[in-house]
Amino acid sequence: MERVLFLAHTEPDGRLGKAALETLPAALALGGETVIGLVGPSTAPAADQIAACGAVRFLAVEGAEFAVSRYATDRQAVEALCRESAATLILAPHSSRWVRALPGVSARLNGRVDTHATAISVVNEVPAVTRWFYRQRMEGVLTRAQRPWFVLLEPGCHPAWTGPGGCAALELLRVEPATRTIVTGLRASQAGEQTIRPDAPLLFVAGAGWTKKQADGVAHVEEAERLILDMLRASGASLGGSKSLVDLSGEGQAVLACMTHLNQIGQTGSTPRHPKGLSTCCHGEEPHVVGWRFITERRAINLDPNCGWARGKADVLYVADAFAVVREVNRLLEPRP
Amino acid sequence: MSFSIVVCGSIVPDPLQTLEPVMGPNGPALKNEIMLPAVLDPWAAHALFEAAHLAAESPGSRVWLVSLAPKAKLQQVMMTMAQKAPFELLALDGPASGFSDSAETASALADAVAGIAGLDRSRLLLFGGWESASRGACSTLQGVGERLGIGEQFFGVDTLTVHPDGSLEILERVEGGRHQVSVCAGPPAVLGWATGNLPEPRNHPQTGMANMRQILPALQRATAARLPGTGLCYQSVTPPQQMRQTRIVKNLPPEEVAREIVAWITGD
Amino acid sequence: MSDLEVDLVCVGFGPATAGFLTTLSQTPGLESRVAPGMPLQVICYERAEDISFGVSGLVTRGRGIRASLPDLDPTAIPLATPVTHEKLVYLADPIGASRRGPALRHIDRWLRSVDLAREWAFELPYTPPFLRKHGGLVMSLGQFLQHVGGSLMASGTVQIWPAMPVAEAVLEDGLVRGVRLTDQGVDRRGQPEAGYLPGLEVRALLTVVGDGPVGAVGRQLEAAFPWPEGQRQKEWALGMKMVAELPDDVDLAAGTVIHTLGFPEPEIFGFFYVHPGRVATAGIFVPSWFLSPVRTAYRYLQHFLMHPYLWRYLERARLRSWGAKSLRESGRRGEPVLVGEGFARIGEGSGSTNALTGSGVDEAWTTGVQLAEAVTALLRDGAPLDRAHLETAYLERRRGSWVDREAHIAERARDGFHRGFFPGLIGMALAGLTQGRIAIPGEPRPMPSTIDARGWPAIPYDGRILLSHQDALLLGGKVQAPPGYADHVRFLDASVCARCGTHLCVEMCSGQAITANGDGVPAFDREKCVHCGACLWNCEAHNLVFQAGAGGLHSSEN
Repeated sequence: MERVLFLAHTEPDGRLGKAALETLPAALALGGETVIGLVGPSTAPAADQIAACGAVRFLAVEGAEFAVSRYATDRQAVEALCRESAATLILAPHSSRWVRALPGVSARLNGRVDTHATAISVVNEVPAVTRWFYRQRMEGVLTRAQRPWFVLLEPGCHPAWTGPGGCAALELLRVEPATRTIVTGLRASQAGEQTIRPDAPLLFVAGAGWTKKQADGVAHVEEAERLILDMLRASGASLGGSKSLVDLSGEGQAVLACMTHLNQIGQTGSTPRHPKGLSTCCHGEEPHVVGWRFITERRAINLDPNCGWARGKADVLYVADAFAVVREVNRLLEPRP
Repeated sequence: MSFSIVVCGSIVPDPLQTLEPVMGPNGPALKNEIMLPAVLDPWAAHALFEAAHLAAESPGSRVWLVSLAPKAKLQQVMMTMAQKAPFELLALDGPASGFSDSAETASALADAVAGIAGLDRSRLLLFGGWESASRGACSTLQGVGERLGIGEQFFGVDTLTVHPDGSLEILERVEGGRHQVSVCAGPPAVLGWATGNLPEPRNHPQTGMANMRQILPALQRATAARLPGTGLCYQSVTPPQQMRQTRIVKNLPPEEVAREIVAWITGD
Repeated sequence: MSDLEVDLVCVGFGPATAGFLTTLSQTPGLESRVAPGMPLQVICYERAEDISFGVSGLVTRGRGIRASLPDLDPTAIPLATPVTHEKLVYLADPIGASRRGPALRHIDRWLRSVDLAREWAFELPYTPPFLRKHGGLVMSLGQFLQHVGGSLMASGTVQIWPAMPVAEAVLEDGLVRGVRLTDQGVDRRGQPEAGYLPGLEVRALLTVVGDGPVGAVGRQLEAAFPWPEGQRQKEWALGMKMVAELPDDVDLAAGTVIHTLGFPEPEIFGFFYVHPGRVATAGIFVPSWFLSPVRTAYRYLQHFLMHPYLWRYLERARLRSWGAKSLRESGRRGEPVLVGEGFARIGEGSGSTNALTGSGVDEAWTTGVQLAEAVTALLRDGAPLDRAHLETAYLERRRGSWVDREAHIAERARDGFHRGFFPGLIGMALAGLTQGRIAIPGEPRPMPSTIDARGWPAIPYDGRILLSHQDALLLGGKVQAPPGYADHVRFLDASVCARCGTHLCVEMCSGQAITANGDGVPAFDREKCVHCGACLWNCEAHNLVFQAGAGGLHSSEN
């Protein structure tokens, strides 16, 4: 029987964020004894939020030093929680904060760690983790004999916990961390608008075709940019790009100023999760499309009926002019006066 | 102000190759892996370029590349990488598989780094890619860092600026396309790089020739690194079923297409 | 003032240079002349991103290769296997769209009527000796070069640098002093931009030019030094192939070799070889004397795969790799100046390919061996590596070898095809069987304007083996190009392009990298170019420059 430690860092208001609330039921479903471990400037609201979850203990490391996302302080906080809980299985949401620190704790406890897990299940009392390998090209299911075993669960993979709150008996652990690092703040991307929205219901991918010459023999890059930004505004979509479009900006071509390499999907870019994705002016080549692994419903607009999307990569391919369609989509989506 | 920069990075199949898993007696592997052209992992390569850039700006610095990979394939990759930037190679002859255990990999790498003659631990910057294109985990460098006693670690790094007082300003990618800014008092530190901002260096024949004088002997001296995968068991590794039944819509006026798309977007 | 000085610099790493360097590496104790006391300084520059990206439909008798590598174990090289079965097959036309004349159509009908053409194919009971590859090897050129190159690098006797195109030979007063590498950090037009790095100059006592049929340095030398009397490289072919994974239920032995003729057009020869591990290579040669646009080479390749005789093996196969290259079909008649002051030429660019036997790799390798033997002899004797000495040492070896003997037989072997399919076949057979004494003469007809393929049905894409051209490029060839280099294909005079009615360059580009651009100069997309060079020999106005570029195919299975 495993002793499960559910680890979460709290939000600025002291409560748990969406990713943590999704990981909690996955931890509870493992069937062992569950201990809650919280880290943050304030943790009581989070503990109370999930007080009725059935955990046997609520542990926390609290303080101003733990308000920031930092390896040294997070590592020390989590290590204290792991040792105190004597957990064999540690489940945490995969976030930039946790993926930085938790593998370090695992190393110090001579444990093992698996990140970017998309599922964890128990079969015959043996926990098994599912995760992707080789840039989402293959899905593996693995078990481990070593303990403690740290598993970081991807957001969007499990329904969130919706149980009632209550009053949790919170045990605060005293940790006096040492660190030589100060976190000074956050910096937004250079581009004017914030176009990457991880929680958006729609991924909107703009391909290199937006910047190429159109039917009239002329490129319409400014109009393309305007249409794309209007689309993002009207739909709340997150902006993705293909490698070819992102590379163009490196070669001084007429490009979309709103697009940086951070927007790249697939290849050396990201593999975001969104329920829907709309590809425009993009050929649908395999290396780009692997970045769409976690996009559930896919549609594409392309003037080429033989593009990659046509054969099995999209649910629907509209053979149409993206300029005209997006113009009309924007018009329909704008709130009526 | 000089640094000892050790870059940990292995090889991965060239990005456009078609990859398929096969289950063997020793666990999963890539089909025809030996035939696949390989490159240095893209993020590790960015880390190497950043290391070379930093070393060039910090006289007296040295750059090592510690790589655990099959020797013959590592040699192939060196034929290109050696032209890019000056570095010394420390090769470990072992698997570069994404299915190997990151703790075992970290242990082998840490032992190799600890054994580097003339390494100034007080000026040590341990670089690497934040994730790899093989395992894609972001879990190996932490293990190397901890085994070497390095308590300040950063991941998803895009920028490193050395301040006149020797402190390190580091930008790490966080959620929502933003960067977190931290200042670390100084080395030692671990930096797992994202793509950074440097362009890929050009191919310098002279750099290549100079590098090769050290690289070829280093390859010949490569010690075997075994990664038994103790306790790790793969129940299955499968490629995704990715064929959808694509409905191709032609000859519909843009207004109709737009209406359909809007209904789809706003629907549940 | 040069940036680097070596004894020998090699341009291109293909089978010829591999043969050259292997022979060199087997000769210990050669001392450098530019750096006395040091071992011989040998460096090789290859433009492709890796030495394993070579293309060939490779079945070889391997005489030269085996002589150099007596311990060659095919099982140690992925995709290599000894030849086990061999067939020559005439493919009839089941569709009716090919341009065969009435006589051939009649033969097709007759063969079918007497049930001699099951699967629309007639397996000839006799394979002429000049075509036979029995005792030879089926290989992937990429894997073979990787194998040889890896050994060479590990031996430490030579440095091989891929991803390093050579821009030109450094010519001074008729002497080749070395080479200059391509500029990096330039825009499409070659203008410096971020990270500009001018091409390094590498001086060498001898420049070994093994840059293949369309190599830029080879052609620069052909322009600088007049062709020998009566010699000209006029006939070309485009070879295009796929490597496919066969379905589980296909029972074909590894080492099966099938040569085909007759389909999709009478002039198109085809090949189908079976590698170990249920992998097969299938490809076609589209010759320059074929009166139809060569861009449809890809389309013709697809129809070739779908011919019932092959489709029974390929129907549920899956594409693994794809590639294309030009071939110098003039062979011995297209042999340029082979040695000069400071340079020597080996391999296909030096006219070693044999169009009669349909082989080139072993011939190229052997010319490399011959040059290396010459060079080592001269080095040992303390003799200069100048033209006079190389003419004696290298040319004598080459002239006295089987490569040259068989090249003579092949010289006029295919001329009959200029008159038509039957004269061509008969001419080939006659030349082969009479050791070149009898041949049917013919002159290549001038390139006509584009002819639409008439009656050829649309390809039913299946996403596995029948793919769009771009998907084959990406999934098969994994074609990519690194940024920071100038376009290596350029059009010289815009007005010439504007006047050109046919734009054959667009029609026959293997990668669809050259596309129509209104009425003006065609557009070139470096990221799609596979460096086959077909554009070079299809522009009738010679208005096109084709240089050594970086990138291209990224598959090591061709």
